[in-house]
Order: sequence, then C-alpha cells, then structure tokens
Amino acid sequence: MVEGLAGDAVAHAALLRAVAPLLRAFYRRRVGHDDAIEDLVQETLIAVHTRRISYDRDRPLLPWLFAIARYKMIDHFRRSGRTGPVADAEELPAATDTEEQVNARLDLEQLLSTLPERQAGLIREMHLEGRSVAEIAHRSGIGESAAKVSIHRGLKALALRIRQVGQ
Amino acid sequence: MNTDALIDALARTVTPVPARSASRRLMLSLIGGTLITLALILSALPIRPDIASAIHSFAFWMKLSYTAAVGVLATRAMARLARPEPVRLIAFWPVLLPLGALAVIAIVQMSQTPTADWGAMWLGHTYRQCSARILLLSLPILAAFFWWLRQLAPTRPRAGGAVAGLAAGGWGATLYGLHCPEVTALFVVTWYSLGMALGGIAGALLGHRSLRW
Repeated sequence: MVEGLAGDAVAHAALLRAVAPLLRAFYRRRVGHDDAIEDLVQETLIAVHTRRISYDRDRPLLPWLFAIARYKMIDHFRRSGRTGPVADAEELPAATDTEEQVNARLDLEQLLSTLPERQAGLIREMHLEGRSVAEIAHRSGIGESAAKVSIHRGLKALALRIRQVGQ
Repeated sequence: MNTDALIDALARTVTPVPARSASRRLMLSLIGGTLITLALILSALPIRPDIASAIHSFAFWMKLSYTAAVGVLATRAMARLARPEPVRLIAFWPVLLPLGALAVIAIVQMSQTPTADWGAMWLGHTYRQCSARILLLSLPILAAFFWWLRQLAPTRPRAGGAVAGLAAGGWGATLYGLHCPEVTALFVVTWYSLGMALGGIAGALLGHRSLRW
C-alpha cells in the first residue's frame, strides 16, 4: 500500500490484486447474489484507489479496507431496498491485526488462488470458517466423500506448492 | 469490465500521494475558509473599536477560548470521521467539555449579579443578530471543510457533516469575537452556542446529501 501511495503502479496493482480475493470472501459471506458480489468488489477497489488519501500509513490496513467494504455493502443494500440489521463492526477484522497477520492472510489467499475456485472454496469453508464436512457437502451439492477427497487433494497440492516455494 | 482489467486501468492512473497529504489539505481548507470569513467580517462588520483594551479583558479571552476549543475539538472529530474505520460517536463526548466549562462560569457570574439584571446579562445588546451572524460567518469554512471531506471517505456522512458544521461554527464564532462587544458568559453560552449548533445542524443536513460516495 505504501509503495502504491508513492505512485508505484506495479505495487499498486499488486495490492489491488491481493485484496480482491479478500473482498470477494467478505462479500460472499454477507451478500446473496453472485453478480452483485463482483460489482461490489469492483466498486470497493475503485474506492480504495480514489480514496487512498484517507489511508493513514501508521495504521493497520485491514480495518480501513473492510470499513470501505462495509460502507459499500450498506450502500448496496440501501439501493436494493433491503432493510434490517447489517453485520456489525465487531465482525470485522480486529483493529489490532498486525502486519504479519495481514501478510499471512494475503499469502494464504494467494496460495488458494492457485487452486481451482471450487476446491479453494471448499478449503476456505472447512478450515477458515470451521464448517463441518456434512454442511459443506450439503451447501455445495456434492457427496460428503467427494468433498473430503477434494479438500484433501487441495491441501496436498498446497503443501507441494509451499515446498516448491521454499526451495 | 472484468476485475483484472479494472485493476490494470486503476493502476495506470496512480499518482503519488505524499505522506500527511490529508492533514495538509485539511490545514489548507481551514486557512482558506477562515480567510474568506475574515474578509467578510472586515468588509461588513466593524472590528470593535475598543479592541486594544478588550484584549486585556477576561471576557475577550473567555469567548476566544470557548469558541476556539469547540473549533479544535470538532475539527479533530471531523478528521477522525473522515477516515473509514469503525468508530463510536460516543468517543467524541469531549466536544461538549467547553460548553460545560462555560456554563459553570455563567452560573458563577449569575450568582454574583442581582436577579433583576439576569435578563440584561442573557440578552446583551446584540442577541438578535448574534447566532445568525455566526452561522453565516461559518459557511465559508463549512464549504472548505466539505471540499476536504469529499476527497476522503467518511462512512458516517451525517455525523461527519455535523462535526464539520460545528467546527466551522467554532472557527466562525472565534473570528466574530473580533466584532462582538458582549461580555457575559451567560450571553456567550446561549447565543454563541446556538450559532455553532445551527452550523452543526446545517452540516448534518448537507452531509447526509453530499458526503455520500
């Protein structure tokens, strides 16, 4: 982010590319329609870009990012006429997230993005959201054993990739 | 447009944002707005003729401290609300501290004054114009603050507009003190506060409409 603020186009693009999957995961958990999710991701990326002056370099990035995402989500609900409670600020990543935690999440998302989308989604649900295999299988409409196998293979592929990166 | 293409397009237009550029622009807007307000005062209202002796009086500094304190505290609150991070509005309660302090001074002054004179203390000579003039004088500063806020990302547009209006009222009232000859705390705590609060209400109404993004 800081290099992007300095006007480095490559770093700026890398940042936007890195946060896009985080935003997609954020909206997927909270917004129903798939086409709305990608619109919201794009709107948020534009806001991150045009309003980057509002980011304070001395403060953690994620609370800033997700506050923008949340604002865009509320705006979306307002336009589409949905009323009712919206996920609270408490659910957002803690303001105390350290840079290391942020980097770890970004690394993880980057690794997951090397897997097929469906498989990455299963792993996310199982290991990041803590759902049970039965629930995941039911939600994605596949058999339990198929889900298990897919997750297992996905994790194996990730492990292999980490070893490759390490060498 | 797909997201990757969008990212490339955005990255092509990236320009450097120097560190502290948000606070620098805030200072710029504050200075620009107060200069316009100052010009309005100098052209439309006479500076109080006794200004040279008045600056040695308690009343002059009491007014100045009160309004400038509101200006500083509300400007800080505005700067916080301009950043899109989760925020609790209750955290801004110190904005009300100057009002409480001045109310105490007003009560002390009243206790030292015969009851029959309280009415004159309260209305002074200029109560009819005071609040409206403060509101008008705060408008250039409010416009400058909105220019600034619209570049940032206030996630609470109404609250952001309200503190911007209150801050503009505080700075406008501080400059109005150059003209205003009133001396009692009871007058200031009523009519100055009313003028600044009107600024806050104007800011909240305008913010709700024009600070969305």
